[in-house]
Amino acid sequence: MTENAKIAVRNLDFYYGDNKSLKGINLDLPGNQVTAFIGPSGCGKSTLLRVFNRMYSLYPGQRATGQVLLDGEDILSPSYNVNLLRARVGMVFQKPTPFPMSIYDNISFGIKLYEKLRKVELDERVEQALRQAALWDEVKDNLKKSGLSLSGGQQQRLCIARAVAVRPEVILLDEPTSALDPIATLKIEELVAELREHFTLLIVTHNMQQAARVSDYTAFMYLGEMVEYGPTQQLFTNPQKKQTEDYITGRYG
Amino acid sequence: MKVSVFRFGLVGTASFLPLSLILLVAFLTAYSWPAIQYNGLQFLWTNDWNLGSLYGNPVSIHGQQVMPGARYGIWFLVVGTLASSFLALLFALPIAVGAAYFLVEMMPKWLSGPLALLVDLLAAIPSVVFGLWGYVLLIPLLGQTVFPWMTQHIGFIPYLGGSPGSGYGLLTTAIVLAFMIVPLISATMREGISAIEPSLKEAGLGLGLNRLEVLWNIILPKLKTTLVGVSILALGRALGETMAVVMVSGNALNYLPNNIYTPISTMAAFIVSQLESALQDPTNMAVEALAEIALVLLVLTVIVNIIARMILWGAKVRS
Repeated sequence: MTENAKIAVRNLDFYYGDNKSLKGINLDLPGNQVTAFIGPSGCGKSTLLRVFNRMYSLYPGQRATGQVLLDGEDILSPSYNVNLLRARVGMVFQKPTPFPMSIYDNISFGIKLYEKLRKVELDERVEQALRQAALWDEVKDNLKKSGLSLSGGQQQRLCIARAVAVRPEVILLDEPTSALDPIATLKIEELVAELREHFTLLIVTHNMQQAARVSDYTAFMYLGEMVEYGPTQQLFTNPQKKQTEDYITGRYG
Repeated sequence: MKVSVFRFGLVGTASFLPLSLILLVAFLTAYSWPAIQYNGLQFLWTNDWNLGSLYGNPVSIHGQQVMPGARYGIWFLVVGTLASSFLALLFALPIAVGAAYFLVEMMPKWLSGPLALLVDLLAAIPSVVFGLWGYVLLIPLLGQTVFPWMTQHIGFIPYLGGSPGSGYGLLTTAIVLAFMIVPLISATMREGISAIEPSLKEAGLGLGLNRLEVLWNIILPKLKTTLVGVSILALGRALGETMAVVMVSGNALNYLPNNIYTPISTMAAFIVSQLESALQDPTNMAVEALAEIALVLLVLTVIVNIIARMILWGAKVRS
């Protein structure tokens, strides 16, 4: 248990109705690093990710018990403001989800929720976000065009730009490349590596090679339990648990 | 040869409905032809419905036999019909969209099913029931309490001041019509909202928007075409509504509304309320003029419905 964990998970249980799908998770996630969550389908990796911005709370019957400390504050506590939480923890989804508005508005919309800026400053922030998401050069002449007119890979980078534009501390990526072709995937992976400098990134992936390529730490989950968590290099080359070894060598999953 | 009989039967039944629409238009046109010739195009924008002196002798004008002094102009009906329908749409849209969003997104499944059914059942209520409800409950309530209060406190807004009237009139009609078109809009919007992928809504909420902001900024822009299409469809329904309007509109004659409390009449309601006196006209011109109103209304609603279906169809093809 490190003192300087950005996110610390303590005895987290998660229920879909009566079905317990996360069992006693304990985890310390360091800041400004990429942590990957891997495991077979249904192991609870996406569920865990959706706890970090309390997305699950939209759905009746889903609940989490235990503690998730973001800089020491329990975000699961009912008194923790969920809008504030979502300003601090952004999310990118499996399928690109551009809003039905222009490219510019897709980015500026989120910023305007939290800050009152003059037009010039807003323009700067939009450009900055699009640059951070490696999309600026492709769209700078078409900012007025609909976000829906972009290709799938561009749309996903637009969503990343939208997430970084509000300057969150943590960005959650839920299988962000599973709907993309290999070239678009590569671009997103490069981007994730760069974004680490400013943000703490948590990425769920079903692709072990991707986890190995982009992450600093990897967590392997199985049947709702955290089996093994450690530096990516170590987890893939010298796993401590038999289950981890079986999974990464392709014996199941 | 069995097949060809079957085929023949199918073609016959399938063409029966479009054919009947064409026949209806043809019949109405032929029947009202003397009135169309007598009235000219001014029929639509003059404000004078007068059967003439029914005790005099028929005179011949433009080759048509009419009672002396007979003039037919329906501008007040055009205004009454359009004003009440658009106002009804204005009231119904936020309620229907809000109800649809609430039912799809915020209610637990076991409750939203029965509630949605209940909203849909509103569409099945005969319009005379709505009319009676308006007559018995709304008119005394609005006429004696709400309208006087409105003229006193928000009368400075254009068309909301002046005489509060008796309760029969434009606003009451629009309210009753709104209740009748809410289920139509709500059902279509429910379908549209549930068809939007959940991750798009989650993306909005994940950015820190609240539910209302997600509805306004993401869901509604996404469903723009559907919304326009179903609005026009609902408008078509309101334009043609008859019985409830007869009961609450005040059945005004040659009278243009000067505020939203004024008695009005609509084309559909006017045909019902005036048929009896029109039958007293020995030249039959009054009935033919009513048939001309029916023709105008029919053409109007058919056009409105075609536009609506085309927009909705376009929205479905694209999504």
